[in-house]
Amino acid sequence: MSDAALRDPRIPAPVIDRPEDYLHVEQTLSSWFFTTDHKRIGILYLVSITGFFVIGAIAAGIVRLALVVPDGSILSNEVYNRMFTLHGVIMVWFFLVPSIPNTLGNFLLPLMIGAKDLAFPKINLLSWYVFVTASLFTLFVLLWGGVDTGWTFYTPLSTQYANGYVIAAVLGIIVVGYSSILTGLNFIVTVHKMRAPGMTWFRMPLFVWSLYATSLILVLATPVLTIALVLVFVDRAFGLGVFNPEQGGDPVLFQHLFWFYSHPVVYVMVLPGMGVMSELVTAYAYKKIFGYKFIAFSSLAIAVIGFFVWGHHMFYNGITQYSALTFSLMSFIVAVPSAIKVYNWAATIHKGQIRLDTPMLYAMGWIGLFVIGGVTGLMLASTALDGHVHDTYFVVAHFHYIMVGATVVAFLGGIHYWWPKMTGRLYSEPWGRVSALLMFIGFNMTFFPQYILGYMGMPRRYAVYPESYQVLNVLSSAGATILAAAYLFPMIYLVWSLWYGEKAGDNPWHAKGLEWTTTSPPPKHNFRKMPIVDFDPYDYSNEPPEE
Amino acid sequence: MSSTVGIELEEQYHDVEQQREAAKLGMWTFLLTELLLFSGLFVTALVLRVMHPDSVTAVALHLKFWIGATNTAILIVSSFIMSVAIELSRLGRQRPMAWCMLGTAAFGVLFLMLKGYEYYRDYVEHMTPFLSFRRYELVGDPASRLFTNLYFITTGLHAVHLIIGITLMLVMAWLASREGFLQKHQNRIEITGLYWHFIDLIWMIVFPTLYLLNR
Amino acid sequence: MSPELRQHLRTPVLTLFALLALLGVNVLLGIFFIGGHAWIAEGFVAATMVAIVIMFAMEAVKDAPITRLFAAIGFVWVLILFGLTMVDYVTR
Repeated sequence: MSDAALRDPRIPAPVIDRPEDYLHVEQTLSSWFFTTDHKRIGILYLVSITGFFVIGAIAAGIVRLALVVPDGSILSNEVYNRMFTLHGVIMVWFFLVPSIPNTLGNFLLPLMIGAKDLAFPKINLLSWYVFVTASLFTLFVLLWGGVDTGWTFYTPLSTQYANGYVIAAVLGIIVVGYSSILTGLNFIVTVHKMRAPGMTWFRMPLFVWSLYATSLILVLATPVLTIALVLVFVDRAFGLGVFNPEQGGDPVLFQHLFWFYSHPVVYVMVLPGMGVMSELVTAYAYKKIFGYKFIAFSSLAIAVIGFFVWGHHMFYNGITQYSALTFSLMSFIVAVPSAIKVYNWAATIHKGQIRLDTPMLYAMGWIGLFVIGGVTGLMLASTALDGHVHDTYFVVAHFHYIMVGATVVAFLGGIHYWWPKMTGRLYSEPWGRVSALLMFIGFNMTFFPQYILGYMGMPRRYAVYPESYQVLNVLSSAGATILAAAYLFPMIYLVWSLWYGEKAGDNPWHAKGLEWTTTSPPPKHNFRKMPIVDFDPYDYSNEPPEE
Repeated sequence: MSSTVGIELEEQYHDVEQQREAAKLGMWTFLLTELLLFSGLFVTALVLRVMHPDSVTAVALHLKFWIGATNTAILIVSSFIMSVAIELSRLGRQRPMAWCMLGTAAFGVLFLMLKGYEYYRDYVEHMTPFLSFRRYELVGDPASRLFTNLYFITTGLHAVHLIIGITLMLVMAWLASREGFLQKHQNRIEITGLYWHFIDLIWMIVFPTLYLLNR
Repeated sequence: MSPELRQHLRTPVLTLFALLALLGVNVLLGIFFIGGHAWIAEGFVAATMVAIVIMFAMEAVKDAPITRLFAAIGFVWVLILFGLTMVDYVTR
């Protein structure tokens, strides 16, 4: 007996317009806050880290404003120190580290390997709660009590001399580390155990490879930061003394432990960006990626070699010359896999059918910024040159080219690329292109002058500077306003598109990959039936994409 | 009896075997992080030994070597009982398994009691340099404070992990007091067991690092 | 005790005695060799104990190769931490 026979004939049969997607399957607030759906948790993360990004950016804006004048008359030294600490702590731990892995990664990893969800959905939700609790606590501490040590918490400044709420801030960062660990653990197990039939390791998208490498770093590095900060905590609270030279301790030991985490964590920020790049470049060059295995293994190589280079932050902080030479050599070696990736992307774009849409504009900008950031990194890795520019704005410019130029640009490019998949809507293409261009211009205008300033000798972390540096500082601050606009536009038109954007099809960019084979937005368990993978990744034919 | 053992499939997995392997790999990955956490303390101990060998030896000779050694034996035995519990769980013998887990927890508590007594002896013998109101035994050797403090942090962190382990044991034993636990959640016993063995393993590194190697 | 259980308990019992014996060796070394280079032997014994726990108590020897790989990764990373930190301290 069919259903129709039972139904009252006066009531028309229901028309299923579209299958229930993950956004509409349940609508209550509690269905969001207690969800275990990786896609919803990705959205939760996206909203929270965007909030932190705005706060961190405002702090950066205040710092840049203060640096318009050389005499420090806008902010007192103390407030200035607290402001750059606020900026650093928030941007590193509450935005950059979770940025791509916890939003795009959370959303896409199961979709890309054909799984229903991550291996441990409840742990995934727990990770978000840990993150939000610890980060709000730390934010409260940084705003009300203030910390003036910089994000690095160097001893003995942090343990003995600094005023402010170092203990509480350190506690918040210890706890937030566990959200990274839980996410990394979840991703590793998911990649190993949750792949769909036929999804072999070498059929995985390169974004998944980069997420895997990132997760390895998170799992292996974060605990060492935890214990380093526990020791700072105990030192400050009870006078442990291990980092205190007056008692016979060694402050450099803290730096060893700290950079054992904090250098690899730079790769946590940039590796997922590289993964996004591999996806964008192939989709918009409409060409099979060049050197798939080289890119995949270079991700792992970066993750591993990244653990051998931490001492290049400490060449002039008291380590021996033998130690410095070892770290310098390894730092040159770690540049090789990054370079391999850049060559492969360039070769992929070469003779491709290039579409200069918004994500591709971000990707093109990314390559330029990353190359500048990477090459200046090599300059810093040579001990002799580092002696000249150590602790100057040259270093500041270098790591902003990597952290903002690479991570944030890739994050924005990725958000645009997968926005139709995440929301089912298309954003405004003209506005997107304008923002991508503004981002590139504003970024270079902000940070390139800082290379010059640093090379001329302007030290970092000071509220006052000689008048001769003022022109370049004003230029940098002016660039920051353009950069602010470039961040603001996407926030507006992307949110606008949620209600007024054109409805996106399942695969608006004609891209390849499992995530584009399901509906936009995907249903709760991602695929209507379990996908069987019998194709290679980036299986782009040489036909031009149909428009 | 082994037909009564199994796991209840969660919705994100295709089959039970996948779920079992995922849980196990997840625990191993977590234990990796624990190893790296403690290794930060071990490297600190080594650095202190390289920088102040005499002070470190002086402290190591003050530590209660016999209590440390007894505690190692206690944890080895507790691990053995845990292994028995796991084997029983695989055979579906829920009740004796629960008793074994309680036994494991009891040995864990015994460890903590001895540890507490050791701390008390340290207090009595003025080996608590972090207490500013109390005289410090090795006051002529300021660098020795560092290793003594590190001893308290390392053993304290291990004790925290042990308390978590004991809690897990009690929770599992309580869950297993209901009929049919092993039919649904046998792999929880395996996972808990991994964690317990690992705490044992960490102590096998802590004991030589603090008490033994520096004598 | 059923023969099935006895069969299952073989490895745990052997592990127990091996660990206790090795602990005994280390305790004796600790009592009779204060100072000097006994730490080399003691470290070796401790490492053996750790390996036994991983391989037999935690059953890595029976598990898939990935488990042994992950266990190995953990110790390799500890070696990286120790090795590169010590390059600094031993050359001071």
